[in-house]
Amino acid sequence: MTVKPRARAAIVQENDGLRVRLEEAEEMLRAIRGGEVDALVVQGTSGPRIYMLQGQDAETNRIRGEMLANVSDAVIAVDGADCVTYLNAAAERLYGFAASEALGLVVTALRETRWHHPGDEAAARTALWEHGEWRGENIHVTRDGRELNVESGVTVLRALDGQTNGMLAVIRDVTERKLHEHNVVVSEIRYRRLFETAHDGVIVIDPYTRKIVDANPFMTRLLGFSRDELVGRELFEIGLPEDEAESQAIVRDLKQFNQIRYDNLPLRSREGRRQDVEVVANLYEASGQPVIQCNIRDISERKRAEEQVQLLLAEVNHRAKNLLAVVQAVAHQTAKYGDPVTFSARLSDRIDALAAGQDLLVRNLWQGVDVADLVEAQLAHFKELFGTRILIDGPRALLTTAAAQGIGMALHELTTNATKYGALSNGDGQVRIAWQTSATAKPMFSMSWLEDGGPKVAAPTRNGFGKIVIGRMAEAAVDGVVEVVFAETGLAWTLSAPAENALARSEAGVSTSFNHDAR
Amino acid sequence: MLAFMLEELLTDAGFEIAGVAMKLEAALAIVARGVCDAALLDANLAGVSSAPAAAALTALGVPFVVLSGYSPEQQKGAFSGALCLQKPCKPERIIQALRGVLPGFPVVPS
Repeated sequence: MTVKPRARAAIVQENDGLRVRLEEAEEMLRAIRGGEVDALVVQGTSGPRIYMLQGQDAETNRIRGEMLANVSDAVIAVDGADCVTYLNAAAERLYGFAASEALGLVVTALRETRWHHPGDEAAARTALWEHGEWRGENIHVTRDGRELNVESGVTVLRALDGQTNGMLAVIRDVTERKLHEHNVVVSEIRYRRLFETAHDGVIVIDPYTRKIVDANPFMTRLLGFSRDELVGRELFEIGLPEDEAESQAIVRDLKQFNQIRYDNLPLRSREGRRQDVEVVANLYEASGQPVIQCNIRDISERKRAEEQVQLLLAEVNHRAKNLLAVVQAVAHQTAKYGDPVTFSARLSDRIDALAAGQDLLVRNLWQGVDVADLVEAQLAHFKELFGTRILIDGPRALLTTAAAQGIGMALHELTTNATKYGALSNGDGQVRIAWQTSATAKPMFSMSWLEDGGPKVAAPTRNGFGKIVIGRMAEAAVDGVVEVVFAETGLAWTLSAPAENALARSEAGVSTSFNHDAR
Repeated sequence: MLAFMLEELLTDAGFEIAGVAMKLEAALAIVARGVCDAALLDANLAGVSSAPAAAALTALGVPFVVLSGYSPEQQKGAFSGALCLQKPCKPERIIQALRGVLPGFPVVPS
């Protein structure tokens, strides 16, 4: 059979038209099956007819209604005038409205809306206008005053002709979740602050990799490593402990005992400085994940205090031995020069004089002894004569330990001599004790003991220990010069020395003659 | 005070005193004069260690005895090897120790 060319072209054209219509029909069917079509308009001989497809989907719609009623999220539909056309059971519970009560009310009668940020409301309106839907969070205030944090999804409903026909809102109450989130944030901030402001180093370690996952600022200050240098490193890399094997042993022990404590570990800072610390490591679970937390305490101060105590003990021992040596020397000299009958009494007096000076030194924490205090202590037996027969006059001046001991002993010997032979041996003799520091370029400290009105004085015929004490010994104690004149009217003793030898360097008593030997 | 007792003690025992120093500078000056055969050294002179004096004595080959309130374990450096006496110390022990380090002086048992 042959076909004419014209007829063949017509057949092809008709064929193509049929294929297009078939495709359109298939697409329509797909749309109907997919529920995308609510009604069909069919052009018939008597004009267009509308076929609603609702009846066909009645069962589907019933199921949809059932689902909406039972979902936990509140669902509300409003018409174009914002009046409620539907609300499900969850919406009734959420807002405290029965459906019968709410239907027909303007939706704002159910709840008032507040926004988290200014501009949120405008953004929601824009989204609904431009895209037909909005999702976001805001606050719904119910008629009984409850403030609900809600998460909403709102869709614009359109009528068959495409005109806006109301809105459908699905609302989830997230108040509790928000509260929980807030609490977590507050807790996180609180513990973060503790972590960051702690005056202990804190590092957190992953027990599986043994690497540091976090370190607080104190830790970085303690060792000089920045946080970035600490994170990702293993403990032994920062010298805690010394090698990898020990690092592994620590983690192993922690897994067994959950806690390890080191009272005293010498760490090395980034610059190689020794840093003594106490370490407490704990293994615990955080949200099911095991973590190791190490608290590292700076114990430098404690160590220094301990060392200071050791030093002080050694120093006290040294001073005690020195003092015993002085007592030994005094005993030796007292025995050598004095009458054996009075030895015991004279030795006791001299030891008393030493003890009086010692008391003053201790009272001033070995920072020096005030001259007036020293004079009054050595002449304590004659207290009632102060101001009348014993005149004491001089500025405040702190003597060094050695000067206080030397001058104290000299004052004792002068007092003893005055009591036996001089101005204090009768009823009306006088002793004037004075001292001063010259205001010259090289200040000199001078002190005098001048007797008057005692019995007629004669120079002693032999050199007793007392004379050595008030003379060469006092001179040696201050590296100065002593002059003793046995005038007929009374003994005159003067001492003069560079102030830097006699007086403690600092009147404030910060760090002065701590190590001065007692000679 | 101890220095004076010692001065007398040693003079009485027949020693000749080349000098008495209360401070390190004075001690170094005496050593520098080179007139002493032996020295009795307090480890601490007016709060200053007398180690430099010990070193100077060692350099000159002058023997010395250390007298100190500190225990021997606290003495290190320049003092090591020297005979160390602890305060308080019997006068006889000091004399014996000095005679012991002086050449030509037989050690007299006390």
